[in-house]
Amino acid sequence: MGRRQRSVRVALVVLALAGFLISFYLTLTHYRHLIPPCYVTSGCESVVTSRYATILGVPLSLIGTVFFVVMFYLGISLLTGHHRVAVRAYDLLAFAGILAAAVLLLLQAVVLRAYCTYCLATEAIALLIWAGSLLVTSSADGGAVDEAD
Amino acid sequence: MTSCYAHADPGSPGLAWAEVIPEGGGDSSTECQAEKRLRRLGRSLLTWQAALWAGGSLVLITGALAIVLFTGAPSTEAATLPEVTATDITYGPDGARVVVMEYADFQCEACARYLPMLATLRAKYGERVQFVFRFFPLENHRYGMLSAQVAYAASLQGKFWEMHDLLFERQKEWADAADAYPYFEAYAKSLGLDMSRFRNDVRAQTTKDFITRQHAAGSDAGVNHTPWFAVNDTTLVPNDIGDFEALIDAGL
Repeated sequence: MGRRQRSVRVALVVLALAGFLISFYLTLTHYRHLIPPCYVTSGCESVVTSRYATILGVPLSLIGTVFFVVMFYLGISLLTGHHRVAVRAYDLLAFAGILAAAVLLLLQAVVLRAYCTYCLATEAIALLIWAGSLLVTSSADGGAVDEAD
Repeated sequence: MTSCYAHADPGSPGLAWAEVIPEGGGDSSTECQAEKRLRRLGRSLLTWQAALWAGGSLVLITGALAIVLFTGAPSTEAATLPEVTATDITYGPDGARVVVMEYADFQCEACARYLPMLATLRAKYGERVQFVFRFFPLENHRYGMLSAQVAYAASLQGKFWEMHDLLFERQKEWADAADAYPYFEAYAKSLGLDMSRFRNDVRAQTTKDFITRQHAAGSDAGVNHTPWFAVNDTTLVPNDIGDFEALIDAGL
């Protein structure tokens, strides 16, 4: 694994960690019935308390938390080797993540007309993770997959 | 093909690769040494990988624990606020030793969440503590300014706190309405306000100017979110009513 590849994979692990911390914070505020204050520059409270913030009673932030935990450990797996299954799973989840982020961004912009800073941050992280996953798979050694290590 | 064997039982799970010797003597010792080096490398890699997994898990768990501990924890900070004046909307005695100040927006959901606490505090401390309400309508709330105008118009007829409570209690029914004004009129009627005067006051430029002045003074003092609370010269992000009571009791 080249230095550039290693740096990309370290960055992916760090990004997943940041995404996890933000999503976990939002999940905790949901279950503790805390509403972020209404800031002059954003509408966090409108977004996190909207009907789109949960699916069948499950807060989206909880789904995001699980997503980022999986990406964190998959990222470590990529860092410790180049497992074919891990790479494929990472690609697939990163793509699912960017799709979900796009939908949530549209909801904020078009339906709610309010933006949540935390949500925007996790959507930016999902975008970066997806871009990083493209770098991992398109790298020169990306195709040379070691199963055993 | 040359291979290496150990002195000990080859099937032993604790087999140490450093102990292996080549089968067939020294002829194949080079290959055997290379294999040993490879195995050592593999073992150190395994250790490094295990450390990475363990370290990563530790960072993840530590971060989660820190968030669990600090989310919702009350925080206080010293602040310099505009003085309470005769034009302020207040509840409780003038010149009280303790002043509880709130900058709020009636469409702010977090502000509405604090209504039960503030109502309880007004009932408990209303004779010894002065409660001050200041308008801070947020631009990103569609009815933030209009609801503030409605509350101010009610204040001109001595019904501010009643309208304050109604607007927060019923926030969900008007905040997402295509037109919130009919709801506001209904609240005004239920409070027995002079409706003709109320309608004029809601739309009066003096009403808008009063709210804008309070908002601007709040911004100058550093208010950047709602609800924004202060007990005397200490700003407060309360988690529950006990956080208010601790500061109020300390000041009395």
